[in-house]
Amino acid sequence: MIELENLTKHYAKGTVVTEALRDVSFRVERGEFVAIMGTSGSGKTTLMNILGGLDTQTSGTYRLDGLDMARATDDELSGIRNRKIGFVFQQFYLLDRADALKNVMLPLIYADGTGDAAARAGQALAAVGLAARTHHHPAELSGGEQQRVAIARALVTDPVILLADEPTGNLDARNGLEVLAIFQRLHREGRTIVMITHDPAVAEHARRLIVLKDGRIAGDQPVSHQRDAHAELGRTAGDASGAEPR
Amino acid sequence: MQFSQNAVLSCQILAAHPLRTLLSIAGIVVGVGAVVLMVAVGQGAEQRILDRIGRMGSNLITVNAAPARLMIGRYRTVATVTTLTARDARAISEDCPHVVAAVPAVYKSLVVHWEGRNTTTTVIGMGADGFRVRSIPLAAGRPFEAEDDRLRKRVAVIGQTVARNIFGAADPVGQDIRIGRVIFEVIGAARLRGTDATGMDQDDVVFVPLDTAMRRLLNVPYIQTIYVQAGSSGWMDRVERDVRELLRERQRLSEGHPDTFTIQNQHTLIKTEQDTARAMTLLIGSVAGIALLVGGVGIMAVMLMAVRERTREIGLRRALGARPRDIRVQFLVEAALLAGSGGLLGLGIGIGAAVAAARLGGWNAAISWSAAALALACSMTVGVVFGLYPALRASRLEPIQALKFE
Repeated sequence: MIELENLTKHYAKGTVVTEALRDVSFRVERGEFVAIMGTSGSGKTTLMNILGGLDTQTSGTYRLDGLDMARATDDELSGIRNRKIGFVFQQFYLLDRADALKNVMLPLIYADGTGDAAARAGQALAAVGLAARTHHHPAELSGGEQQRVAIARALVTDPVILLADEPTGNLDARNGLEVLAIFQRLHREGRTIVMITHDPAVAEHARRLIVLKDGRIAGDQPVSHQRDAHAELGRTAGDASGAEPR
Repeated sequence: MQFSQNAVLSCQILAAHPLRTLLSIAGIVVGVGAVVLMVAVGQGAEQRILDRIGRMGSNLITVNAAPARLMIGRYRTVATVTTLTARDARAISEDCPHVVAAVPAVYKSLVVHWEGRNTTTTVIGMGADGFRVRSIPLAAGRPFEAEDDRLRKRVAVIGQTVARNIFGAADPVGQDIRIGRVIFEVIGAARLRGTDATGMDQDDVVFVPLDTAMRRLLNVPYIQTIYVQAGSSGWMDRVERDVRELLRERQRLSEGHPDTFTIQNQHTLIKTEQDTARAMTLLIGSVAGIALLVGGVGIMAVMLMAVRERTREIGLRRALGARPRDIRVQFLVEAALLAGSGGLLGLGIGIGAAVAAARLGGWNAAISWSAAALALACSMTVGVVFGLYPALRASRLEPIQALKFE
């Protein structure tokens, strides 16, 4: 699914060259749920941008679903982002003036031959448990619901990979767990998910953990004790004091 | 479908800033509104003038027995020239091809009396076919005929102004009036004709047979005017040339000698009028062009602001798969929508103002739909042209930078 070989990324600012990524290699197979963890400055955002086709590497190769991303033109990259990648951002990035359904339909505007866009968007919203919120505007939704709309938007084109950048970063513990529970359910249903986070507790909801440090891979192993977001939600619901599980 | 949904979204975003949107399209509103109003007023006025010219008669060429001289910006015939005779009129109708009729006429300002009332009016002596040639329909009674002219009968057809001035509500037909010292029987009344192209009241007249006027009233051997009617409008210039040649020949004018008469071609009159109207239209057009240009600058300013404000939206759309081209088209469509709505608003205001002006002025509002469509198309074009730069800027944003933009 994802193949990275000796990927490097340099940023030149005047005469100073920053090495954001150095010699990064790993593979992500279909159906995996991978967390990429690192502190700020570790290169995880750069990696996310390259994985998402929003940026290109300085050297090395990146293949997504067999396609060499370095050879794609700007327009082709747009098409790849549209069809193969579903983005979930920390700040949700919903259009304030469009209701949930229209927000979910947004990627379909740029896809060809999408059939009944409204029906597909409706199904995607139902998949994240928001069938009842179809015509609510973002301002009328809680943060967790907004992020779920964003997940529905990422799913509506049926992408090969879901790329989430700090998906719980702007949410409280409970809403964060709800989002993670959705990711875990999608993973069980066979989705390939790559989630970037700085938070070990969030990362432990994935099955595999890649740790980035100073632009290099410092660790890549399965998560030994995977957390179950659904179970954690059950515990917070039972706990009258509402203790934070994170 | 998806394109139209995007357009709907664009409209919602524009509608969310009503004041800003309104200000940005003000220039276009004023420009389009002004064009529609001015064209309507201009065409209404032109129509009225053409109507007046048409009321003179159709395919008419007027020969006046005096050279014209430019006085205070207008051509006027000066002095009394005694060179034109009724025989010239006959020669024109007999010798010039494509001439249907040539009607000689004399006129003089005289006092008309009836039962102690009197009015000063223009008495016109003319050939009997003048009623047909000059399109003078009757409201009552009958016109005089060639036989009346030959017998120098003292009969008269009076205009509506004269009828009102001396008869009031009474029926003038059959009454005896006195013109100068001669008694005439009123046999007919002309229908109301209004003012002519020069603003003269065409109803303040009394028509009498030509010979009656020349022998019994004015005692002159010469005439002042010949009304020549051409067979069709296509022959007007040819007939004018023939008449000039014939008259110069009959008056034995040597080459280089100026004409002793003036020929007025109805065609030339209409053409002059149309040229004036065209110049006016050009002027309106350039004023409108400037207004639209200013409007375009307003659109550009608002679109640049919109691109800045919506940088994150642009970044998001790029991340979700929009190509630079898609972003460009979106902002171009928004600019065109903005300008188009300004154009529509201007159109509504312009039409409303034109109808109101027409009602106040008492003429028909000549709304030109082609001008309206053109104005609308121009405003849309202005939107696209001035939206191009903001749209290009939007499409060139880097997705990552755009998403991070605060």
